[in-house]
Amino acid sequence: MKKPLIALTALFVSALTGFAALGGSEQSVISDQVRLKASRRVVPEHGYRVHEISRDDGTLIKEYVSFDGKVFGVSWKGPTLPDLSQLLGSSFAEFQNSVHPKAGRRKAAVVHNRDLVVESTGHTRAFQGRAYLNSMLPDGVSQEVVQ
Amino acid sequence: MRRGFTALAVASIVVSLSGCGDGNSSSSSETTPSPPPVNNTQPVIVDAGPLVNGQFAGNEDVLFTTVTICVPGTATCQTIDHIVVDTGSTGLRILASQLTLNLPNSMNASGQPIANCIQFADNTYQWGPIAKADIKMAGEVASAVPIQIVGPANFPAPPNDCTAGGTPVETISDLGANGILGVGLFRQDCGPACASPTSPPAIYFSCPASGCSIASVSVAEQLQNPVWTFPQDNNGFLIVLPQIAEGGAASVSGSMIFGIGTQSDNALGSAQAQAADGFGNFTTTFNGTKYSSSFIDSGSNGLFFLDSATTGLPDCSRQEAGFYCPASTTSLTAINSGPNPIASATTVSANVAFSVANAVTLFSSGNNAFNDVGGSNPGAFDWGLPFFFGRTVFVGIEGQRSAAGTGPYWAY
Repeated sequence: MKKPLIALTALFVSALTGFAALGGSEQSVISDQVRLKASRRVVPEHGYRVHEISRDDGTLIKEYVSFDGKVFGVSWKGPTLPDLSQLLGSSFAEFQNSVHPKAGRRKAAVVHNRDLVVESTGHTRAFQGRAYLNSMLPDGVSQEVVQ
Repeated sequence: MRRGFTALAVASIVVSLSGCGDGNSSSSSETTPSPPPVNNTQPVIVDAGPLVNGQFAGNEDVLFTTVTICVPGTATCQTIDHIVVDTGSTGLRILASQLTLNLPNSMNASGQPIANCIQFADNTYQWGPIAKADIKMAGEVASAVPIQIVGPANFPAPPNDCTAGGTPVETISDLGANGILGVGLFRQDCGPACASPTSPPAIYFSCPASGCSIASVSVAEQLQNPVWTFPQDNNGFLIVLPQIAEGGAASVSGSMIFGIGTQSDNALGSAQAQAADGFGNFTTTFNGTKYSSSFIDSGSNGLFFLDSATTGLPDCSRQEAGFYCPASTTSLTAINSGPNPIASATTVSANVAFSVANAVTLFSSGNNAFNDVGGSNPGAFDWGLPFFFGRTVFVGIEGQRSAAGTGPYWAY
């Protein structure tokens, strides 16, 4: 299936402030892009759209936006972890409280709360993960689209 | 492109090595080492860990070794125990709080200290400057290689690009160890990506007093897997750990043996090699589904795979969230597969049988080593330390050649 792409540049949007992402407004995606010094494209899907933010180092961040302009999911893949405090926005504190790594343990961070789901896996050179809010999934859209 | 270049470089090294070794008629191994053989067997142990405030750290399934580091080219050395043996990362990292040596910091062309950041998937990190040291294990020496000094006082703070909003693991109580010996599949922790002049990832930093920022660092100045820098036995290594009983063991002793097919004690034997991809991953097939981002990591303290919905294994309650807690020990099988490193059109597969017991029950036993601790890792298999019990696991380092082929590969 062919998808029309809308290419945008990172320039001249630095006036936009406020990070966010998960649970935030679509505008917050642009501030993520600026902060990441990345390029971005928008992929329309049935019932939502995906902002794909990519960096030359191989990082790919996807932000899933409902038609009412809310980010209901994010995913990441790349050689380093993105700033999760930025990507998870107001859900970051809940994520930190839920995973709170136990000393001496190394494993994935998996949070499956009633509303917030975060899955962060991988290892040096190859991290990937996703997060979404069950309450914000658009009607008829499965959490499985957040990949 | 990168692989082709590496293969050329290795070919020329092999040619010169065999030239040097021609006069050594006493050696019978297929890749004749030019220096005389040295002790290549480094003891490793799973135990209760280092003392932290008068008590053993007591974490489960952590493989440790003892490493001697020296000021380069001198006999000024320090021997440090309880260093984690980690096939999931690359480079030696020593907690600053455990280091008494005064090592020379690495500086970049602008005369600024170079710092390194390693992140972990649970949103923790380690931050600190790069210094050079000689690393001695068994009879092997890695000379003047970059290492990371983790969390020193009086060093600029890590920028957000490193912390990612997460928490540091930079004290002995946080880490449960004195450092990490990263001996993964790759020669460097980052490689050519971090030498990129335009957009290196957030792994290396330049640190003027005004604060640190992402910087490109040459491959030679990056953290190295010390094994590939040895003058011999440098194409990889193997880890041998005995099988342990269901219910675990208080401690388990084994060996890390350097070189693959370079001495009489490190032959491949019946081990089958599987190449890993450019990320160090391979495919694990479970219940007919392929998971292509799977990996082997001696630094993971369990078999972390998929999730409760996919496996049917119940999650533990909140205190041990992330682990599986089946009512009775559950036997499972999976298939690991990857290209044959010596004939990439051929796929090599290995059936892996494993068990998952109730993690809460295991952790309350007082043992430190378990071959059946499991937990979730959505979308992939992380074959942690339990995978190593009862196996000989060969780690073929990127660009290094053995009878199994050219790394990166696993063989077992």
